Amino acid sequence: MSDILAVQLGPLRLVNPIITASGTFGYGVEYADIMDVSRLGGISVKGISLEPRAGNPPPRVCETPGGMLNSIGLANIGYDAFVDRTMPVLRRMGATVIVNIYGTSHDEFAELARRFDKVEGVAALEVNISCPNVKEGGIHFGVSGKSASGVTRAVREVTSLPVIVKLSPEALDLPDIGKAVQDAGADAISMINTFRGMSIDVETRKPRLGAVMGGLSGPAIRPLAVRMVYQVFKAVNIPIIGMGGIACFRDVLEFFLAGASAVQVGTANFTDPTIAVKIVDEFEEYCGARGIHPADLIGKVEIQEVK
Amino acid sequence: MDYFKTRITRMEIPARDHVILWFRGDCPVEGDPGQFVMVRGNWGAHPILPRAFSLVEVGKEGAILVRNVGEGTNLLASMKQGDELLVLGPLGRGFSLPSETGGGVALVAGGVGVAPLVFLAQRLVDKGVKPVFLYGARTGADLPLRDHIDEICDLTITTEDGSVGEKGLVTAPLERFLQTNPTASVFSCGPEAMLEAVARVSVAAGARCQVALESPMACGMGVCKGCAILDAAGEYRYVCSDGPAFESVEIFGREP
Repeated sequence: MSDILAVQLGPLRLVNPIITASGTFGYGVEYADIMDVSRLGGISVKGISLEPRAGNPPPRVCETPGGMLNSIGLANIGYDAFVDRTMPVLRRMGATVIVNIYGTSHDEFAELARRFDKVEGVAALEVNISCPNVKEGGIHFGVSGKSASGVTRAVREVTSLPVIVKLSPEALDLPDIGKAVQDAGADAISMINTFRGMSIDVETRKPRLGAVMGGLSGPAIRPLAVRMVYQVFKAVNIPIIGMGGIACFRDVLEFFLAGASAVQVGTANFTDPTIAVKIVDEFEEYCGARGIHPADLIGKVEIQEVK
Repeated sequence: MDYFKTRITRMEIPARDHVILWFRGDCPVEGDPGQFVMVRGNWGAHPILPRAFSLVEVGKEGAILVRNVGEGTNLLASMKQGDELLVLGPLGRGFSLPSETGGGVALVAGGVGVAPLVFLAQRLVDKGVKPVFLYGARTGADLPLRDHIDEICDLTITTEDGSVGEKGLVTAPLERFLQTNPTASVFSCGPEAMLEAVARVSVAAGARCQVALESPMACGMGVCKGCAILDAAGEYRYVCSDGPAFESVEIFGREP
C-alpha cells in the first residue's frame, strides 16, 4: 500500500482520507470476511455509550427517495463489551479505529473520553453531539455554540487523543458552531449527521418508523452537506471531514473541492459493503494519474466573483 | 460469506405478481434453508438499499422468489435473462435441522413465505425425510411453487376463499397433523399473525416449532441494527443476525 493518499488531520494521520461513517459499518469486525479493513483511512465505529443501549422501537429503517430514514436510537454494546471484546479484534485486523462516543451529559462524554484515552489502538475520538434519534443529549448539544463548545471542552480536558466533533445540520448557524468547537479545542470537525425526517404510509396512515421521526441520509442530502462544508470551511482553520450521501468517488471529489480534508462514506455501505475500499482504489488511481495529492483539492472550488 | 456480481440465468412467473430469479455465481451458491441473500440490480443510486430474499435453491445456481410489492421488487421483476445482479450472502441463521425426525416434520407456509420452506423440503427429501407441506393463501392464484412442492412431498393447500384446497386457515390441517404426530418438528414462514397462530398450535400440542421472520433492513449483516424485533422476553433481537429463523418460543413465548 502506497502513501500517495496519506492525510494529516491535525494530530491524526490516516493512510488515506476515506473513513466509514458511524452507524453504517457496525464495529468494523463484521467485515473481516469481506475486505481488508486496514486499507480504509479509518473506521468510525457505531456510537459507544458508557452502558449498553437497546435502541428504539421498530420499524427502525425505511427507504426514501435517494436515501433512507433511520431511528436506530444508538443501540450499542456499551463501553465494557466494546473494549473487552471488539477492540482486540480490531487491533488484530489492523484497523484505524475512530471511536464515536455518545453521552447524555458533559460528565458522561468526559468519562468516556477519559476511559478511551488509555485504550490501546484507538486513533481518535469522534464526539457525537448530533444524533437526532435520542431523547437526551445527541442533537441538543449540537444546535447551539454554547452547548457544543461545552461538550468539546469537557472531552478535550481529559484526553490526549485527537478530538473530532460531529456536527448536526440542524444547527442554527453552522459556521458559528464550527468556530465554537474549534475554539474549545477540537482537532477536526466531521459533518454532517442526518437531518430529521418523517415518512407516512398513506394506506395505513401510520408513520413508517416506530419512533415516528428519524435521520435522513443518502444521496438525497448530498447538496445540503456540500453547501454546509463549503460554508464551514470558510469559517474555521481546523480540518473538516465531510459526509452526506457519498455514493461514489466523484462525490468524494465534490466534498474535497467544497473544503473537506477527508470524507466519511455512510449509507452507501448498505448498497455495497465494499464501496469504501473501491473508492480508495479510484482515488489512488486519480491522484497517481495526475501527480497530485488529495490535499491539493481542498476548498478548490472555482467561484467567479460577480463584480 | 461472499459478495458477488452475477447474472440472471433464467426467470419464471410461478403465480401472478411473483417471479423466480435464478442466478449463477463465479462459485457454487451455498447456504442453508432459512438463510437469505441481499439482492439488487445494477440500477444506480436509487433505490439505495438492496432487498432481502430467502434462498429457494442453491447449487450451481441460486434462486429467489420475488413478490412484486413495491419499487425494488418491481425493478427486480422487470429484469431480463442475462442482466447483472448483485448478491450478498448467504446471510443470517437458517433453520436448525433436527437430528431426530421420527415424530414427523410439518412445513407450514403462508404466501411468499413458501420460499425457504421449499428449500427446506428439498433438503429433507435429500436426507430421506418426507415432510408434510401445509400451504395457505388468500386465494388459489397466490400459490407460487405449488406444483414443485406437490412433486417432492405431501402437499395440503388451504385458501381463505376456498378456490383451491380446503377453505379456511392453514392451522386447521396443522392441528389435525399434530393430533397424530404430537412430537413433530414444525417449520413455518409467512405473515406474522399466521406464524403466531402456528406457534400457538404447535406449542400446545408439544411440538417444537421454528419460525422464519421478516423485517425491513438496510445491511443484512448485523451492522445497521435496523431489523430489530421484540422477543417474548421484551428484548430486541435482530432478524438478520440472530435469525431469520428462531425457535417460536423465543419470539411468541409458551403461553397458549
